[in-house]
Amino acid sequence: MNTTTALTTTVLRAEGFSCPSCVAKIEKRVGRLPGVDSVTVHFASARIEVRHDAALSDVDALIDAVAKAGYVARPAAF
Amino acid sequence: MSMSMSMSTMGTRVRRWIGHRWAVPTVSGTAILASFAVSRLAGATGWADALMIAAAVIAGTPVVVKAARALTVRVVGIDLLVSVAASGAVVIGNYWEAAAVTFLFAVGHALESATLAKTRSALAELIAVAPDVAVVLRAGEQVEVPAATVEVGEVVLVKSGTKVPVDGEVVAGSGAVDEASITGESIPAEKVEGDRVFAGTVSTGGFLQVRTTGAGADTTLARIIHRVEEAQDAKAPTQAFMDRFSAWYTPAIIVLAVVAGLVTRDVVLALTLLVIACPGALVISIPVSIVAGIGRGAKDGMLIKGGEFLETSARIDAVALDKTGTLTEGRPRLTDVVALRPGWGRADVLALAARAEAGSEHPLARPILEAAAAEGLAVPGLPEHTEPVAGKGIVATLDGRRVAVGNLALIAAERADHDLGGQVAETVAELAEAGRTPMVVAVDGDVVGVVAVADRVRPEAAEMVRRLRRVGVREVVMLTGDIEPVARAVASQVGIDQVRASLLPEAKLEAVAQLQREGRTVAMVGDGVNDAPALATADIGVAMGAAGSGVAIETADIALMKDDLLKLPAAVGLARRTVANMRQNITIALVTVAALVAGVLLGGVTMAIGMLVHELSVLLVIVNAMRLLRPAQPAEDRNPPQRPGQDADNASLRAAPTAA
Repeated sequence: MNTTTALTTTVLRAEGFSCPSCVAKIEKRVGRLPGVDSVTVHFASARIEVRHDAALSDVDALIDAVAKAGYVARPAAF
Repeated sequence: MSMSMSMSTMGTRVRRWIGHRWAVPTVSGTAILASFAVSRLAGATGWADALMIAAAVIAGTPVVVKAARALTVRVVGIDLLVSVAASGAVVIGNYWEAAAVTFLFAVGHALESATLAKTRSALAELIAVAPDVAVVLRAGEQVEVPAATVEVGEVVLVKSGTKVPVDGEVVAGSGAVDEASITGESIPAEKVEGDRVFAGTVSTGGFLQVRTTGAGADTTLARIIHRVEEAQDAKAPTQAFMDRFSAWYTPAIIVLAVVAGLVTRDVVLALTLLVIACPGALVISIPVSIVAGIGRGAKDGMLIKGGEFLETSARIDAVALDKTGTLTEGRPRLTDVVALRPGWGRADVLALAARAEAGSEHPLARPILEAAAAEGLAVPGLPEHTEPVAGKGIVATLDGRRVAVGNLALIAAERADHDLGGQVAETVAELAEAGRTPMVVAVDGDVVGVVAVADRVRPEAAEMVRRLRRVGVREVVMLTGDIEPVARAVASQVGIDQVRASLLPEAKLEAVAQLQREGRTVAMVGDGVNDAPALATADIGVAMGAAGSGVAIETADIALMKDDLLKLPAAVGLARRTVANMRQNITIALVTVAALVAGVLLGGVTMAIGMLVHELSVLLVIVNAMRLLRPAQPAEDRNPPQRPGQDADNASLRAAPTAA
């Protein structure tokens, strides 16, 4: 669709999700990063799916943003 | 293990334990105790108050920080409620209340995160079995590489005690593989050349060379993990309602507290309302049950697509089953050989039939040839001439004689007088009655015997039907394209009373739709090829033996990984338990909030009591959901699968279910 930037999808698995409304914080934090197209936080399975331009915000930047919202996350192999 | 090492591991563990979860509640709780001690023993109220405030600040700071973070992204959550309530309590001088509320909230949170992680444990275990490395044969050398980077077609080595790193086919070697992570079956499966193996299973003995068919994300394990995660996230209709509810609930409570405070001029009442109205138990009541239930199912090799399908599965009261390949093994085997001519033994009849069928492509030829081979009968070469007669059988020329194998019409046509004698017709009728396919064997028009083949009923089919009834399924219906007598024979063996035979795929669909019109919630089990329309129409489409098929894992509403019929009643039972669990949790949450609101309005419930009861209700909900993680109730297995006095045919199948 967008030919100028290459969007990749990164899945992070997070720890310590204990209340559904708190995860909205993550969505908004990560969503504010440059190059992030969309963020979906799945409460039940503790997953964060991010579509982003890795050149503008890499996986570490995503993990940092999640950490700022108060949660530990790591990238998933699949 | 040396003493120093165990001490240091213990030290690390203790440090981690404190650093993570319990540091805040422990320090805060100590300050509260110290405050009590100082005030009781020394009567120093100033010091006691200072310690109480310290306890509140220690336990409350993380909450305030979280609430502030949430506010910066415009989220009004439970943290804000607690922050406002605790700060308010400090301002009006209720130090004990402030300390108690924040301390209990901290303890509750620590317990919640510890227990909630448990409800996700089934999925965590699946992720944990994902292989890390693979030993690949490259240019004759063994190379260790990350498992996800193995290319399709490469050969990996699987040594005893290691994980199978990829999906693939055994090309050399043999061994036993524990496939519990995929199928839920804990007894290791024997693997020889040509067998499929799955990434994430564990070799328990032997040595295998496996040609890769899929690695990394393209493995059955990865598909299962995805399915489980998506299933856990897919919202049940009830949950979608709860989500909408909790979105306006918290802001509404703040408004209510402010109004109540302004009207009654009672700040304590307003703050107490804030505390007791925390929606914790309500918002997690449904997700915890679903996550635990779906996780439990995945562990047992039953993938349920999501909350909506759990709720539907819990209502299943009719099950439609395909016969061939579902209730039966799906591959015909020789069942009978009857010799009808003096001087001819059963071996002679079988050997002749096998020789005649040696050149045939017909599906019924294979079981005859297999049986002859198994009995060590010689089947030398091919017939001089083979002439298949469509729908009737086969006529072959052997050593100059005309050998016919087929139905009565074929044999009658072989004779000038068309008369076969009563004994032949009687034998054929008896065999057909018993659900078998009889084939008469004749040499130059003279009948020498009859052979019969049948698709064997799976040994666990009858027990499955019994267990389906026990979990509340009222109608069990067989839908089959096969002819009526065969269908009836199988149905009576497994205890099914409703049979619809000679059905085309569209007619199967219509039969399912008919059940739905009668108000039934229908589950359909089939092999997914000619049953596809009926599977799609049914409320719940069930795929069996899905481990081998990526499509089945992704499309079936319930995918049973193993080819085990007993998983079907187990899945229905699990769905029922999960939905019941969900309802219990909603009840616990609603009753708690209602009781607390009543308690506050009538007096007697303080902020501290409110928080205590609230946190207890959250824990109760989580612990209740954790009950789902236990193995299925033993009641399901209490009845022995075989009862004495059952029909002999069935019993003999149980005794030797895999004799090929």
